[in-house]
Amino acid sequence: MKKLLSIEWLKLKDYNPFKVLSVFFVFGIVLVNIIVYQVNKKIIEESLPNGKMFSFHPYDFTNTWQTTSYATGFLLFLPAMLLIILITNEYAYKTSRQNIIDGWSRKEFISVKLALALIFAFVTTVIVFLTALSFGFISGTGFSTHKISHVFYFFLKALSYNVLAVFISVWVRKTGFAIGLYFIYMGAENIISQMLDLWSIKLKSDNVGDFGHLGDYLPMNASDGLLAFPDNPVKSMSKMIMPADNTQLVLILAIVYLLLFVYLSMRKFVKSDL
Amino acid sequence: MTILSVNNLTKYYGNICALSNVSFSVPEGCVFGILGPNGSGKTTLLSIVTSILKPSSGNYSLFDTEPTDEHRRNMGTLLETPNFYHYLSAVKNLAIAAAIKGNGENNIDGAIETVGLSHRKNSAFSTYSLGMKQRLAIGAALLANPDVLIFDEPTNGLDPEGIADIRSLIKELAKKGKTIIMASHLLDEVEKVCTHVAILKQGKLIASGNVDEIFITDDIVMVNAENLSQLKNAATGLPGCQDAKETNEGLQLYFQSGTVQLAAINSYFFDKGVTLSQLQLKRSSLENKFFQLTGK
Repeated sequence: MKKLLSIEWLKLKDYNPFKVLSVFFVFGIVLVNIIVYQVNKKIIEESLPNGKMFSFHPYDFTNTWQTTSYATGFLLFLPAMLLIILITNEYAYKTSRQNIIDGWSRKEFISVKLALALIFAFVTTVIVFLTALSFGFISGTGFSTHKISHVFYFFLKALSYNVLAVFISVWVRKTGFAIGLYFIYMGAENIISQMLDLWSIKLKSDNVGDFGHLGDYLPMNASDGLLAFPDNPVKSMSKMIMPADNTQLVLILAIVYLLLFVYLSMRKFVKSDL
Repeated sequence: MTILSVNNLTKYYGNICALSNVSFSVPEGCVFGILGPNGSGKTTLLSIVTSILKPSSGNYSLFDTEPTDEHRRNMGTLLETPNFYHYLSAVKNLAIAAAIKGNGENNIDGAIETVGLSHRKNSAFSTYSLGMKQRLAIGAALLANPDVLIFDEPTNGLDPEGIADIRSLIKELAKKGKTIIMASHLLDEVEKVCTHVAILKQGKLIASGNVDEIFITDDIVMVNAENLSQLKNAATGLPGCQDAKETNEGLQLYFQSGTVQLAAINSYFFDKGVTLSQLQLKRSSLENKFFQLTGK
């Protein structure tokens, strides 16, 4: 795998969109968190008449892991888009064929793309970890690893986003179409998920049963659902009518969906004509 | 040793049968031409043996064994179009190819030199002309100094000089004992460089074997005179002449290959009282033979 990755690096290192998107992404993470930091300060401390009494600080330690992970989640389409471009380019240039002709097995080709998805997710997570750490210290609170599990959830979400990108690229092959489909799917799943969430609130209030957030059981929303904004005073108030957070079930589902996408991507590439 | 042996290969694209029960084998050290008109299944066939396409049925073997990834690393292949990373230079593209093959890193400059691209080796592939791209693809095939080369339409997009270069390159490679499998729709290309040939038409194998055996050709002598009917009458008794056909330009006389003596023909007609206004030996009717074989 090390050899395969070193070859993948030869393809990547001189590719300008790779550099540009990477820079965008890193600056984007910092920027998004600064925005969330500022907005929350305004809403909680200034808009609510007695906001200061709650003394809620999203970037204090314990909260910073969760807040940074949640806020950065909105930028995960960037590495996913990069992956789509990288993989569909191989089809456009027909280098997917040439790599096989030159002696890679199909499994090697698709494995290294999936490895790339893993590495992108890992690097993103490291950046999030460092960002969360910095914001925590900037907030002037003492270091704590409490709630650091959210950084792991973030990793899972990043990986899900990236693996979906690989999956769509392998099935669709055309850059524009693949990027379009990716966003359409994300949008559609979110709408369905929110409708399901509303339904689960109704089911609970009608005393039919508490099934958790039904929307979180969908492929992309499973890893999404693990991440949420920390419970601020407003959110805490609405807790009572909300269905339960079945974190364990959602976590298992997220991993199952992930493995399914990995399997289907591999199968597609290994079995089909190039 | 048999380099490549295909057995009953069949390939469907949906309902369309691109390849139907094709079987032949390629002996070591030959220049094997796969000849056929556009859409006859040449590229499909080569794509299957390079593992790009999956056959619908049938199989193939390489070097007398089951095909492996390792086999492909020891083959240099140019399939249909030059496939390279557009944003990378020739050198960087070949570095990737060499890394995948696990061989040829030291030969990158040499391969580029061989195909005459040294002056542009650091420019991005996207800036190359069609002919230059084709040259680079041939260079990439030569990179790891493989024993077997597969060229699909190798002279595509090349200028006349480039075509001549590639043909002499192929002959040179054949002299070194390399086995070359080459697909072409150009008859004279196959005739000029190949020792063996397989002819495809609409996915079916029409003939395969030694070029000399497949293309047993006649010599044609073109004659003309003032009085065509007198000429025709006289031609009936011409020794060695197998057939005579009247055309717009005169009379075509068919002889077995290599038996024509123009001086003898001239004196024969002179003795019969016919003065020839034209006497010309035409090169073999390979093209006719090809059309005859492919049924056109």
